[in-house]
Amino acid sequence: MQRYALAAIPVAMLTFGIPFANRIEPRVFGLPFLLAWIVVWILLTPAFLALVERGETTP
Amino acid sequence: MNAAVSLGIVALGILGVLVFATLGARRGEVDPQEFIVGGRSFGALFLWILLAGEIYTSFTFLGAAGWAYGKGAPAFYIMCYGTVAYAISYFLLPPIWKIGKERGLLTQADFFIERYGSPRLGLLVACVGFVFLVPYVTLQLSGLEILLRIAGYSTLDSTATVGIAFALMTAFVSLNGLRGTAWASVVKDVLVLAAVLFAGIALPIRFFGSPAGAIDRVLTLRPHWLTLANDLSTQGTTWFVSTVVLTSLGFFMWPQSFGATFSARDPKVLRKNAIFLPVYQLMVVFVYFAGFTALIVVPGLKGTAADQSFLLVVQRFYPPWVLGLVALAGCLAALVPASGQMLGAASLFAKNVLGDGFGIGTTDAGRVRSTRILIFVVGALALCWWLAARTSLVGLLLIGYSGVTQFFPGVVLALGARRPPAVAVGIGIVAGIIVVAIAAALGAPTVYGLNVGLFALLANVASTFVTSRVVAVARAPQAEPTPLR
Repeated sequence: MQRYALAAIPVAMLTFGIPFANRIEPRVFGLPFLLAWIVVWILLTPAFLALVERGETTP
Repeated sequence: MNAAVSLGIVALGILGVLVFATLGARRGEVDPQEFIVGGRSFGALFLWILLAGEIYTSFTFLGAAGWAYGKGAPAFYIMCYGTVAYAISYFLLPPIWKIGKERGLLTQADFFIERYGSPRLGLLVACVGFVFLVPYVTLQLSGLEILLRIAGYSTLDSTATVGIAFALMTAFVSLNGLRGTAWASVVKDVLVLAAVLFAGIALPIRFFGSPAGAIDRVLTLRPHWLTLANDLSTQGTTWFVSTVVLTSLGFFMWPQSFGATFSARDPKVLRKNAIFLPVYQLMVVFVYFAGFTALIVVPGLKGTAADQSFLLVVQRFYPPWVLGLVALAGCLAALVPASGQMLGAASLFAKNVLGDGFGIGTTDAGRVRSTRILIFVVGALALCWWLAARTSLVGLLLIGYSGVTQFFPGVVLALGARRPPAVAVGIGIVAGIIVVAIAAALGAPTVYGLNVGLFALLANVASTFVTSRVVAVARAPQAEPTPLR
């Protein structure tokens, strides 16, 4: 169950989190905030999934 | 002269890739296991490339830029849904692979037949998958047509270019098979990456000094372009979230992506892919930059013409050899996925409809032969669609998605210990497709701001549930006779 919860975090941020990140300011590296939010969570998704994988191989 | 240079580069490049892929594909084998699932031997890197090849298509290349140009922030959904889909695939694909391995499955319809014990359900799944792959192939065909027309500096008219595009697509897939597709994908990915970085970084730097400069200009011109409408309007936040949910569920329900799962060597390969494929999505940011640049440099393209946006910038401001290289990358981004899709649709129909359903071409050689013929049928259907209705690239993709997503409930339920009866799953799929068809006929992509595919999915799940209850009640007296008191 825990591994689903871990994977659900980036998923929730890229779906239900979007309306809350729907703004221009503050700009991050020139990107509008909404686009920066999406980029950051895409970058974090592999990290979360790798954590899930580690949890499976070392119980 | 310009056209000769750029089209010459495109032609040479495609020929080169064909030769390279053919060498890699070990020609001459007619074993369907080899032709369709690559002998079930693909390692993580090769499968990664194959999946990326099928997933990053001329849609990513042209469609994403087209939407950034024509709609703005709604285009951001493209980056999100892929990532969400990979997170889901981490849990979903390994059990599917395991069943496929144990039972020697080749296609998505095989999976339904095996899990629900119903050949008729397999027939339904194969037909639905086949039908909804057609708009996806049409998408690649339109992409190719645009690329060839612009690379030819409009010396070729659209009838000529679509004819060439059709010939290229069918020749490419007939010669290649799945392993060849994966090899062609290696070349394609390198070229597409280079083209996308060029379009997303060099174009904005040339016109605005930096990629961020393009964002500034867009915001000055259109202050609301880079945020979503905060309401229930056709492409507001509600639409965005519901579309990401819907399309991420549908992502691996495409017959060819589902089938590609079976070509993995082991489930660890699939998990590794789920972890690393999201990084690929970042490429799309550069495509947005290209679209934004085009919005300022070549404004005024309406409707489906927006799909040509950044290519026109390259055509107008760069020498023909640059346009040739960019167009070559784009053509491969259409050809490689198109061969996966056409092969997927054709092998599905050959095995599960012609073979299992009507007893045509049941031997290995016969199946490969009917697959080869059906490749032309799929191409011809895609061509008919293109002739009948000009739809934007994103529009075509969303139609296909609303269809194949209807498989999702059936696939998930198939993995559980208590499975609903086949008839319930079948009725669910049909109900979902009916809702999709009604919405398409009415031309209503959203209801209360929600993507209409979500309503189709709800109708699907509800019908499955109700039917399985009805079946359970109807069967109960025979299974367990009530003892008389």
